[in-house]
Amino acid sequence: MKYLIALFFIIILYSLGSALYYMMKDGDGSKRMVKALTMRVVFSIALFLFVIFAFWMGWIKPTGVN
Amino acid sequence: MQSREEYFVPSGSYWPILGSIGMASMLGGFASSLHGSMAGTTAMVLGFGIIIFMVFGWLGQVVHESETGTYNLQVDKSFRMGMGWFIFSEVMFFGAFFGALFYVRHFAVPWLGGDGNNQFTGEILWPQFKAVWPLINMPLPDNFSIPKGIIDAWHIPAINTMILLTSGATITWAHWALVTDKRNQLIAGLVATIILGITFLGLQVYEYAEAYNHLDLKLTSGIYGSTFFMLTGFHGLHVTLGTIMLIVILMRAIRGHFNKDRHFGFEAVAWYWHFVDVVWLGLFITVYWL
Repeated sequence: MKYLIALFFIIILYSLGSALYYMMKDGDGSKRMVKALTMRVVFSIALFLFVIFAFWMGWIKPTGVN
Repeated sequence: MQSREEYFVPSGSYWPILGSIGMASMLGGFASSLHGSMAGTTAMVLGFGIIIFMVFGWLGQVVHESETGTYNLQVDKSFRMGMGWFIFSEVMFFGAFFGALFYVRHFAVPWLGGDGNNQFTGEILWPQFKAVWPLINMPLPDNFSIPKGIIDAWHIPAINTMILLTSGATITWAHWALVTDKRNQLIAGLVATIILGITFLGLQVYEYAEAYNHLDLKLTSGIYGSTFFMLTGFHGLHVTLGTIMLIVILMRAIRGHFNKDRHFGFEAVAWYWHFVDVVWLGLFITVYWL
């Protein structure tokens, strides 16, 4: 489960990082940055929904007092 | 021979020295206020005021220079490089706090409990100590504020995650509006993002009040309390800064600044907002869940 969440994170960081790269590299006319950021938002929402689903299925539980 | 454009070099400015005075006054005053000096507290507040004045004055001048067409593409590139270094420092900043959390959870606390080759550390120092996370039962509890519990991931943290993720979507909606020349949608997207940011901060304040007043979870609650408040607190500070920057961008958008070909100011603030959003997602997963 942790690996799956880590995979989501890698994809999110990759899209955020590539948006940064496009911001540094391209001029303002380019749409590559906003496309990468859109991917970032989509994967972030997917990860949040996945965490809720995983909790609902009983795969993970929140940090609690043991 | 290839001709070169002139690179804009501003004339002498008093903003840097004013900023230095403000910073010296704020930090010197802060140090004195820790010793209970009233004059120190006054100097700290005054210094903070000078810094705010400097930021708005200096950046206002930059906006004016930009809008009057002083900057060429080379200057634009310089701004982008400056933003790159700023982001690098931010990544390192949060990296240090996430690193501290990781080190404590995976190494320091288990070692104190006798993990690895530290069996005698556990047996000799604190034989009763059990290394569990969150670390609520400290080996020497007298020195700490012992929490009755921790913040439940399902209540405010989950709501706040939804709020920030939605704000990520609204800022992207505004970004698309800007690159496709839809001014009203740009303004609406910015307004929505600002409202969501302020809501997030309000709920975060409520969560802190809950932690302090009902759970006894404080900055002095040992390593759990320290890492929890340092990470979420500094994140909150970044959301505050991001919201202020978004308000400035909104004012500029209303005044007709930015177009689909020139809008680096917007891009930088939007990326910063996305970054703060991703940091929260990391916090939500590592602090509240894993």
